[in-house]
Amino acid sequence: MYIAPLIVLAVLLAWPAPRLMAEFTAFRRAPRAALTVWQATAVTALLAALASAPAAVIHVRRESGIIEHAGAFDDGGLVIVLAFLVSGVILARLLSCAHRVGRNIRAVRRRHRELVDILALDALPGGDRQVRLLAHATPTAYCLPGMKRRVVLTQGTIDRLSEPELDAVLTHERAHLIARHDLLLEFFTVVHEAVPAVVRSDASLREVRLLIEVLADRAAVRRAGAVTTAQAIVQMAGSPTPAGSMAIREEGSIAAVRIGLLERHPIAGVDPRIASIAMYAFAATLVLAPVLLLVAAFA
Amino acid sequence: MPPTLRNRLGDLERAVLECLWASAETHPDGLTVRQVHDTVGVERGIAYTTVMTVLDRMAKKDLVRREREGRAWRYRPAASREALTSEALHQTLGELSGGNRRSALLHFLEESTPEDLDALKAALAQLEAAHPTEASRPPGRTPRT
Repeated sequence: MYIAPLIVLAVLLAWPAPRLMAEFTAFRRAPRAALTVWQATAVTALLAALASAPAAVIHVRRESGIIEHAGAFDDGGLVIVLAFLVSGVILARLLSCAHRVGRNIRAVRRRHRELVDILALDALPGGDRQVRLLAHATPTAYCLPGMKRRVVLTQGTIDRLSEPELDAVLTHERAHLIARHDLLLEFFTVVHEAVPAVVRSDASLREVRLLIEVLADRAAVRRAGAVTTAQAIVQMAGSPTPAGSMAIREEGSIAAVRIGLLERHPIAGVDPRIASIAMYAFAATLVLAPVLLLVAAFA
Repeated sequence: MPPTLRNRLGDLERAVLECLWASAETHPDGLTVRQVHDTVGVERGIAYTTVMTVLDRMAKKDLVRREREGRAWRYRPAASREALTSEALHQTLGELSGGNRRSALLHFLEESTPEDLDALKAALAQLEAAHPTEASRPPGRTPRT
């Protein structure tokens, strides 16, 4: 009987696990490994949920011996139908959500990219053809991922930052683009929106976002140094906000947290590299669990 | 990258808008398609009808405004470059509900508040204390506090 463990696994990883994991802030110090564990959690929950249907088929076959059930709508048949219904609904929801989120995101990016390309000033900061400079006094920097990717800066950013700080910001944004952090974020956004609202954990999505920023920050640190990167963050954060701009509050002092994470620090006394190995092993074990359960069900 | 149709249209829209901005003072009533074509289209070897299409497209995107004058349209930029840029920045921020927007554009920093700034400066001071040699900010910009 392997259906119960699969369902338990799916439920555990979908509900309590993300809430618990968001509390373990020490693991932010190994951002790459932490992101891998987050991904493994989501993938495992999905795999476990989807595997319960095939497991149910095997279970029913075994229980009733090798008897043809074609058309017989007895107890066993009902289990199979139910299991496939559950798996089918989960899969359908996931796919439709992926389609909707992906289409939305790409439409917004395309419209914004076209607009930015039209409105940008002629100067190319850093001589980079993907960088667009906007005539605006508020320091803002962001990237538009995708096939035609852009790094967008405002004139205010250039005015406020020193050369090395600007380099740190550009490196940060390019790190997002090169590592395709957007795909990672898209995956988590899809999973987040696909699950029922009760299960949804905003804290875990916030945590994933933070980890992605920390990864990009560390790329900036490798190029510009920790202090310069921190100064860039402070300069960007310390700018006056123009009236009428969108204030997205909820992040708290996430920027201060990022500054604290620019450099390697031990996780509970353990070197973050050693801790990372343990975290990768944990992630691999997680993903293997539903696979092994399904294999065992066949055996 | 070979120029796709969309790329070429983007370049053309850019050039058209530049042209309208540049003539905003001398032609406060705007330019006709013919005038825009003379400035932007001829040197690029672009047909009059293409310029017309582009202007029509830009009017639908609220980049330019138009008024009918006799049988022709007169086009003006919808606003200055600064105003349109400001609009673009805020529109994109407001267009989607939180999660989706933040997946579409990856910002270097979300907005922060004065209280946050104190926490920030404390975090920076701690880092600078650990690296006394790197701590001085290059001169010529905002003075350090």
